[in-house]
Amino acid sequence: MLLFRSEDHVDRWLAGRTPGATVPISKLAELADAWWGDRLDPAWEPHTREQNQQILDDLGLTGPFWRLG
Amino acid sequence: MDRPDIQLRNATYREFVALGRAPTAEEVATIVGTDPGEVRAGWRRLHEAHALVLDDAGEIRMVNPFSAVPTSHRVVAAGKGWYANCGWDAFGVGSVLHVDSVIETECPDCHEPIRLVVRDGRPDDASLVFHVLVPAVTWWQDIGFT
Repeated sequence: MLLFRSEDHVDRWLAGRTPGATVPISKLAELADAWWGDRLDPAWEPHTREQNQQILDDLGLTGPFWRLG
Repeated sequence: MDRPDIQLRNATYREFVALGRAPTAEEVATIVGTDPGEVRAGWRRLHEAHALVLDDAGEIRMVNPFSAVPTSHRVVAAGKGWYANCGWDAFGVGSVLHVDSVIETECPDCHEPIRLVVRDGRPDDASLVFHVLVPAVTWWQDIGFT
């Protein structure tokens, strides 16, 4: 789960390996807020898999690669 | 995850942020009013539940998104320096603390430094991309690699 200068840099770094998923940095920022934003909440409860899947779905991170289970 | 383990998890998170480093079992035991052995047993259950990550010695390795050990993802936020476990977690530090942040890492391809300012949740360089190599279903099979 790494940050790259561009998709070209990802392609070079993969060096022929099967790519995973590439996400614009602005979408990563949204994902981080949704995923991590409640971690210091005094009323924090563990996220269910369904809740986490919904976070991904809401950001358009769908398809088999993004299925949590 | 039962209520006492959630309370232990919350105390561990709060103490990590307060100290700017991983707390010891003794430090957390004092806060929650138990003994270090009970804390370690609770941490093990939380590790199994993916609520935090222990190292082989049973010490805190990750209080996600924070890393207890140096990594290539450095974050300055809330007046402190932090290490994050990956690019996603680097953004997560500001999200957890609800503050702006500065992320410093390097491009794994060209090894040029990357420095990002995240203000009000928006990174100041929208040209960068984030790559996830392994599918979501396998993320916790080897969280250190992921």
